[in-house]
Amino acid sequence: MNVFECRDLSYAYLERYPALEKVSLSVAPGETVALLGANGCGKSTLLKLLDGLLFADSGTFTAFGEEVTEDKLEDEQFNRGFRSRVGFVFQNSDAQVFSPSVREEIAFGCLQLGMSRESATERVNDVLAMLDIAELADRAPFQLSGGQKKRVAIASVLVMNPEVLLFDEPTAALDPRTQYWLVELLEQLRSAGKTIVLATHDLDTLPDLADRCVVFSELHTVVADAPTADVLDDHRLLLDVNLIHERSVRRATSMRHTAPAGAPTAS
Amino acid sequence: MSAPQWLLQSEVGLCPCGCIGVRRKGSFVAKTLAGASGVMRQAIFSDDIAARNGLLQRLDPRVKLVTMIGTLVVVALVHSLPLLALAYVGTVVLAAVSGLPLGFFIKRVWLFIPIFTGIVVLPATLSVVTPGDVVLPLWHWHGHTHGVTEQGLHGAGIIITRVATSISLVVLLTLTTPWVRLLAALRALGVPKIFVLVIGMAYRYLFLLLDAVDDMYTARKARTLGPDREGRRFVAAGAGTLFGKSHQLSEEVHQAMVARGYTGNARSMSAFRLRTADAVWSAGIVAAAVILLVLDRGVL
Repeated sequence: MNVFECRDLSYAYLERYPALEKVSLSVAPGETVALLGANGCGKSTLLKLLDGLLFADSGTFTAFGEEVTEDKLEDEQFNRGFRSRVGFVFQNSDAQVFSPSVREEIAFGCLQLGMSRESATERVNDVLAMLDIAELADRAPFQLSGGQKKRVAIASVLVMNPEVLLFDEPTAALDPRTQYWLVELLEQLRSAGKTIVLATHDLDTLPDLADRCVVFSELHTVVADAPTADVLDDHRLLLDVNLIHERSVRRATSMRHTAPAGAPTAS
Repeated sequence: MSAPQWLLQSEVGLCPCGCIGVRRKGSFVAKTLAGASGVMRQAIFSDDIAARNGLLQRLDPRVKLVTMIGTLVVVALVHSLPLLALAYVGTVVLAAVSGLPLGFFIKRVWLFIPIFTGIVVLPATLSVVTPGDVVLPLWHWHGHTHGVTEQGLHGAGIIITRVATSISLVVLLTLTTPWVRLLAALRALGVPKIFVLVIGMAYRYLFLLLDAVDDMYTARKARTLGPDREGRRFVAAGAGTLFGKSHQLSEEVHQAMVARGYTGNARSMSAFRLRTADAVWSAGIVAAAVILLVLDRGVL
């Protein structure tokens, strides 16, 4: 049974601005899928649909074999089951880190899902130590840097130990060290068997992050669904969907030709 | 894409004749924004004080909140100037034993009193409002001397001391209790969850929106040459933009809460435990309150 099944999902903001047009995809357990596309192609909207935060205008969305609708999420038992199995790391950490202190923030999800204070405290301490942010525990979110906020946002989702993790532009606006810290964390989560769906247009870190890519066109439709290596080799496709530019292809090619033997080449 | 011709030529930033512009004072917008960033510094400073190991910092926030409210009521009931002055001295002593910088504490209280209370009580010191023994004659009217009366001064002294003591108590409470613990204490004392949650989030996002305002103003200032006569228009436009931004942010925040299981009933980590120090403090405060009231009603 697939974790997610989407059939012909369409969504428009204010019923006027289309964000998704008949999008179909499936995500198997343990898979890491990247949603690739230029700005405004509908990746973030699809992630919100997969997390039951938005609901499609048409089409069906099934999670863990059950159709997810607004009505069903009103049901407390279904809501609690779904929320504990799917975690979402937002692109804007400021929106996600809303509690008055880091410790409260990380504990929020566990407490909402009915965990006791003692168990939640234990988990919070474990996650703080794992992500190396124990010294931030009693700080207020407004005192944190962008990278620290991202770590807190990730901690606040990991603490719930969801089966599926949704990441919206995880590496955007992060310095290189934090970017690769995140890549390594995602690799660990993959090897632990988590299902990961991430929206990105960062092609540099993609080979480390995803098994499969679902490529969106600027017309909000899915134009390719293939293994990551195949997608990255298809320059024509990447050019068409505005993920690379003619000049970046030319520069990469010329660097390959001018690099001395044995030197690392740009991909 | 082809750039227009003017963009391809460099332009002289300063007047070629080498004249120097006129230095101008900052506008009201600049001053307001400087005040806004002061709020942020103040909040960080308050957090540092609340983290110190003083007497009040060691108490349970619920006990502190209840005893402070009780003391406020007692201070409102006392009518004796010496007793009120004694209570004020008590707050200063508490500030000292809680590790608060005394200069800062006293300034914080007395900076506002002349502005708000002083102006209100000033007319009450005059013989036309409070008749009595004139100690400072100011004018004569139909053979009578008018001016500041002893009774008026006494009344004004009571009001000012009472306000100073009350503000000192509130400042003591807010400076020695981290904001998070204060909210949790409100919750523990039965203040509705949604109310506490809204205050907490308002406080949290105040800083984010202050940042946004600061960015907007800095971006504008960087492109402004000469005198800034459009300040009011900028404030109006900025308020509109900020409203849009905060609306968008509130929607995302709500989604982030729902994504982690929020269904309208927020739970908090804070668990409080009463200790001996809390009992001793409560007993001390009750005793002090009783003594104040007895002295006020009976002896003085």
